[in-house]
Amino acid sequence: MGAAFGYFPESGFNLYFRPEVTPGPDEEPTFDPCLGFENGRKERVMVATEEQMRSAKIPPSERDYCAHHLLKFMACRKENWPWVVNCEHEKHVYATCKYDDYVIRMKEYERERRLRVREQKNKEIEAA
Amino acid sequence: MSSLIKSAKITQLSLKYNPVLVTAVRNHWNKDYKPGPYPRTEEEKLKAAERYGLHPSEYKLYPNDGTGWGDYPKLPEVGADSKDPYYPWDNPELKRNFNEPMHAEFDLMREDRYNVSARLRYSLRTQWLQFLGVMFGTFGIYCIFEKFKMFHPLVPRQYPIDGKKHYTFETE
Repeated sequence: MGAAFGYFPESGFNLYFRPEVTPGPDEEPTFDPCLGFENGRKERVMVATEEQMRSAKIPPSERDYCAHHLLKFMACRKENWPWVVNCEHEKHVYATCKYDDYVIRMKEYERERRLRVREQKNKEIEAA
Repeated sequence: MSSLIKSAKITQLSLKYNPVLVTAVRNHWNKDYKPGPYPRTEEEKLKAAERYGLHPSEYKLYPNDGTGWGDYPKLPEVGADSKDPYYPWDNPELKRNFNEPMHAEFDLMREDRYNVSARLRYSLRTQWLQFLGVMFGTFGIYCIFEKFKMFHPLVPRQYPIDGKKHYTFETE
């Protein structure tokens, strides 16, 4: 709620009034991911394998970098049913992973936006 | 037993000499159910007013347009809900006094039906303005914000498929 009335509306207005520097919600990053990182960035590691996810029938939308935590969480739920409150630890680990994933996507968006602003400025300087 | 038969005989006799008692059952109708013909002259009007127990100044008529109200009085439209509940009515259930003439549409103005003479808290004009204001106001806001679709400022979800590489923000 707070976010929805805080900085979310701004994204809509930015996309409408400054589409040249505002990445849309479905746009992948366009710049070199290691631009500005002298030693490069750490790659995200996928722990769960395709076979594991397929045998656990994890839906395609959930086969992201947190899938191994989801696997553990669902396995724990199955073992402890109906006392699923015993899986609070697994649940928390999974939620934390999802949160970190969200933060990475947020940072990636902001990086893309700032690089676009920078590119725009450089163009203006060249034109002048 | 004989007394029972006697009482039955009394009933039969009374029905024989007062056939009006069975008119409603036999014919489902009697002449008093129907108002008289539309009064043309002043004299007829006075007569009709007396028949309905009204003062001539209170006696008004429905227009003679073929609807068939005849000489039935056009009474003020006062719903039962608007009548004083603390007045000692002869018939409190209907808020009606004995021999008080009934409105032609009485069955639509009882307490369990519509209150034709309700005093509104807000005038109908105000109510329409409020309704249309809310409706068109909401639609206006919708039209404005239809252009500015807000979204989570995020890149799309990252999946390790098709050999795509994704990075954290930690340096190596």
